[in-house]
Amino acid sequence: MSAAFPWHRPAAILLLAALAAPAQDVGLAERLYYSGERAYAAKSYPEALGTWQQLLQAAPLSPYAPRALLRMAHYQAEVAHQPAAALALLDRLKADYLKSPVAADGLLLRGTLLAAQAHRPADLQEAMAEFHRVVDLFPDTPAAAGAHEGLGQAYRDQGQWGPALQHFIEAYRLHPEGPLAARALLEAGETLDLMGDLPGCLRLLQRVRSTFPKSPLAAEAAWRMAVRVKLRLLHPPFRLQGPWPEGRQKWLKTPTLLASDPAGALFLYQNSLDQASRLVDGALSPVGASVSGARVLVPTPSDDLWILTRNSLVKDAGNPTPLGALNAITGARLDRWGTLWVVDSKTPAITLFPADGAPRTLPAPMAVALAPLPTGGVALASDTDRSLHFLDAEGQPHQSVPYGKGLPAPFKYVLALASDPVGDVAALVDGGDYGEGVVVYGPDGTVLRQTTLKALGLSGRFTSLVLDHSGGVILCDRRNDTLYRLD
Amino acid sequence: MRLRPLLLLCLLTAPLLRAQDAALKDTFAQAKALWATQGDRVDATARFEQVLDALAPKAATLDPAWTDILCQTYNWLAVLDDRNPATKARATTRLQALIDLNPDFDVDRTLTSQRLTGIFDRLKAAKLAQVKLTCVPEGGQLQVDGKPAVLLARKFLPFGPHTLTYIHPGYAPATVSVDLGPQDVKPVPFTLTRTSSTVTIYVQPSGAEVFLDGRPLGRTQGQAGPEALAIAVPMGLRPEDLSAGFVLDGLKPGKHDLELRAPCYRPKRLALDPSFATPFADHVLEPIRLEPSRATLTVTSAWPGGELFLSGEDRGPLPAKALQVCAGAYDLAVRFPSGGYTQAITLAEGGSLALEVKPKPRLAFLGLDGSQDFPGRDRIQGLLAGLGPRLKHLAFQTARPGETPQAALTRLKAAHDAELFLLATPVPGPAIHEVELQLSTPEGETERLIVKPLEDDPLGNLIARLNAHPTLIEPSLGATLLDLPGIPGPWVLSATEAVQKAGLKLHEPILQVDGQAVADRAALHRLLEATNHGSVRVLQPDGPPVDLPILREPLELPLASPRFAYPAVLAQLRLQALGARGDAANLLKLEIGLALMHFRDYDRAIEELRDAHLGTAPGIGQGTLDYETGRCFMGLGLAYRTEALQAFRDALKYPQATLFGPDGPRVAPLAQQSLEDLK
Repeated sequence: MSAAFPWHRPAAILLLAALAAPAQDVGLAERLYYSGERAYAAKSYPEALGTWQQLLQAAPLSPYAPRALLRMAHYQAEVAHQPAAALALLDRLKADYLKSPVAADGLLLRGTLLAAQAHRPADLQEAMAEFHRVVDLFPDTPAAAGAHEGLGQAYRDQGQWGPALQHFIEAYRLHPEGPLAARALLEAGETLDLMGDLPGCLRLLQRVRSTFPKSPLAAEAAWRMAVRVKLRLLHPPFRLQGPWPEGRQKWLKTPTLLASDPAGALFLYQNSLDQASRLVDGALSPVGASVSGARVLVPTPSDDLWILTRNSLVKDAGNPTPLGALNAITGARLDRWGTLWVVDSKTPAITLFPADGAPRTLPAPMAVALAPLPTGGVALASDTDRSLHFLDAEGQPHQSVPYGKGLPAPFKYVLALASDPVGDVAALVDGGDYGEGVVVYGPDGTVLRQTTLKALGLSGRFTSLVLDHSGGVILCDRRNDTLYRLD
Repeated sequence: MRLRPLLLLCLLTAPLLRAQDAALKDTFAQAKALWATQGDRVDATARFEQVLDALAPKAATLDPAWTDILCQTYNWLAVLDDRNPATKARATTRLQALIDLNPDFDVDRTLTSQRLTGIFDRLKAAKLAQVKLTCVPEGGQLQVDGKPAVLLARKFLPFGPHTLTYIHPGYAPATVSVDLGPQDVKPVPFTLTRTSSTVTIYVQPSGAEVFLDGRPLGRTQGQAGPEALAIAVPMGLRPEDLSAGFVLDGLKPGKHDLELRAPCYRPKRLALDPSFATPFADHVLEPIRLEPSRATLTVTSAWPGGELFLSGEDRGPLPAKALQVCAGAYDLAVRFPSGGYTQAITLAEGGSLALEVKPKPRLAFLGLDGSQDFPGRDRIQGLLAGLGPRLKHLAFQTARPGETPQAALTRLKAAHDAELFLLATPVPGPAIHEVELQLSTPEGETERLIVKPLEDDPLGNLIARLNAHPTLIEPSLGATLLDLPGIPGPWVLSATEAVQKAGLKLHEPILQVDGQAVADRAALHRLLEATNHGSVRVLQPDGPPVDLPILREPLELPLASPRFAYPAVLAQLRLQALGARGDAANLLKLEIGLALMHFRDYDRAIEELRDAHLGTAPGIGQGTLDYETGRCFMGLGLAYRTEALQAFRDALKYPQATLFGPDGPRVAPLAQQSLEDLK
């Protein structure tokens, strides 16, 4: 019996295509196709591609021709990482084999590649058109669910939560089992949170856990749920768990910066070593080149770490690239479009460095720290107007929270900002009547948890922090060369 | 069917024939009396002619008694014809017919004139010679030229070579060849050699199957004659209560097992000890009585109109209470006006079985289309025909023998005798390696599935889907519960007002239900499923136990799930809807509407949804129904834009309505978005 989705309704398409081609061509094409499959499975990619190319020349009308094209496109996209080459093959598939049963998968892959290439919201239009085509032309195929998911992501990337939610839900309805369904459900839950429906979000995350308990996404849903419940509903008071990893004191060399990627991996920078490292199971492994005077760590989706100094950007092991006139960089983030957002304590603007164009600026208060938000926007702290600003994906402010609002007393400075993937923001603060402390804000600017370091009995020189996937805060103390965890 | 009217004719005419037999015998007796006592030759001849006209055409099929009457009739007519000059010449013809009919018959020499007797002897001697038989032991059977023949001391046979065989149970047969010519009178002696014992049995009832050492020997038949009187009477029986004697021939030395089986009777086994076969002898056993073997069957149903069939035999309408039936295995079937129920049952002797049945959708396997042969054809066809016992929720039936799939489909559709059809069609190609299975409802909702006839279990996936039953109701405490890492038990996110009033605390875990620890939602769900009373006692940290009622929360039928065969789901829902009332009926309309949405049959889905009315409680309710209705209108295109807008506006009136189930996403933001999309 055929695999994951054995029932089908429009049955005759393949048969019609097969009957249209001469029988001997079909036999040859079938043998060529499977010969290519064998080579591909053995990772003999040139042989596989050559065989499929031969198939396309010898039997272009056979039902195996579009299948070969799709396999070649997958190779270019996933193995060779040549999306342009993949798109060229998919263009041919779309133009010549739209009635083929694999056309839906081809269009879906094309939409996905186009979406990945987009550098700004408007670039998504062609990808979205492709996804809509899959939904309209092939509503009964599994690809339709994938297309709905693609549309959901595209709308979410454009900041349109309503249609995003609708398409994620539709993706789940059309494919209620399997990894795509779990992902669509998780995305729908996250979108509900963006829309301000926390109970709805939690219910869907629980559904991910209950329906797909063995999926990796169940674990993802579990921590996202747990963090939200802990921070936004229970608000337990902070307590000092102690040095972190447990029992490790004075084991670092002047740690000054911390950062975490969406998966929760922790990066830190040791000033005395001029070196950034990844912390895995209590052990440090160096990442990138030696950089002196790092001010910001930016983990990237490709698992690299970008380091910003006072006035430049260092990618991988490359040389520093000056970032225009900026010379007092205090914060940065890399957005979904590949654009680097940078703030500078002497510049009243956010400077955007797109992946494929000239830098531009967005007016903003002079900022001492910046943290990314799941909305595509950022939270930035400005000591100048003593406010925490929440900006949307366009850089437009939608909320400002004065320093000290919701606290027993105001503070004067923000030393560092951090955020988690569910939109909570932690600030390391100092000065004023409040003094040195940690404040965690919800996505709506509400104070969720707070504590002064004095209340915890902590003393040192704290310069950075991160929020972990358990709702705890990790602090970096450069004076004592130690990390601490608050829970 | 030709046999049926023929059988009917036989049944109707049998009493008539018996009456005719008696009349004919009477005519024959009258004819003899008219001549013998009154000398009325004319009337006697007329009556003998009547007998002749009745019997001569079927002379070849007459039994020995009627053959004898016919022979006597020829004899009498020859005598009467001979006395009338006008018919005298015909006398010889009568005698020749008599000789042709039975060469062994001798005319009544006291009745027949000497002249006529001489003619008879001459006619006979012109064609027949005589053999004189002596048989030791007597009482056997004679075969002449391979055919059974009446055993007489003297037999007349046509001139030429003949083979005579004498057979007797317990003895080796003997064969003698003779070549007969005119005037021959040849002695033929048979002396058989004993080779085994025989055992003669008389069985009540007649018709029992006889097995010797496990080997079937045939069935007892007929009625015993007077020879069984001596053994029948001591057992309080009459000979006619017993079968005719059944001879177990060829009983070799040693022990033997005799077994008798008859429907509705307990099988009987007898051990024949070696003395039966040593020395060789003929034995007659005491009459064997088989004990009746019966069971009690009760079949009831809450659904009206059921009719019970046991292995195809109509046993009347339900309820069938304490039905006395033969013990044994049956294919039980109940036909309802819609749907059916089938089950293979085995009724133990003296036992009773009570079944409460409800109609299941009937799946009819129409057959494998086409006659083209391919590897695995017989295998896949056999597997499909044997699908029934593997199906949990469907009654299974197959097309009639020799019926084409199209004919079966037409017949079953016309008679409303199935809710699902399964048709197999080989997928054409250079070689056939795949078969398409088409599962459809009479209304036309269809799904297709490709299987490979030679794979391990080609129907495994189909069967799993047909057996999968979507859960449409789940037990609940009226609270939204989360499984949080590190929290010992499901954590209460929210609850209905009533549940909070009852004492359930928000933002606390549930630790125990009815005294049992619950680690997570799944454990709680299992406990609620297993509970057979209407409420449970719930324990949370630092609080008194709280008694909460168990609610039955509806769920939406999931669409496009590969776990289900949607035509079967739809058939099941339609059947349930026939007996549903009130809220249950409304909920089934929603589920049927969803199943139709799976097939993009939006028109009919709307017909179902628009007639339904659900409650306003949080979860699946009227808002869900309105939202799904709106989606159906959207599926019909822009022509129904106004109706879609109205449906989504209606859905917004129920902010607590959800999709999928009580913990699914709220309908409101989705309805709102749909409204904006339509504007």
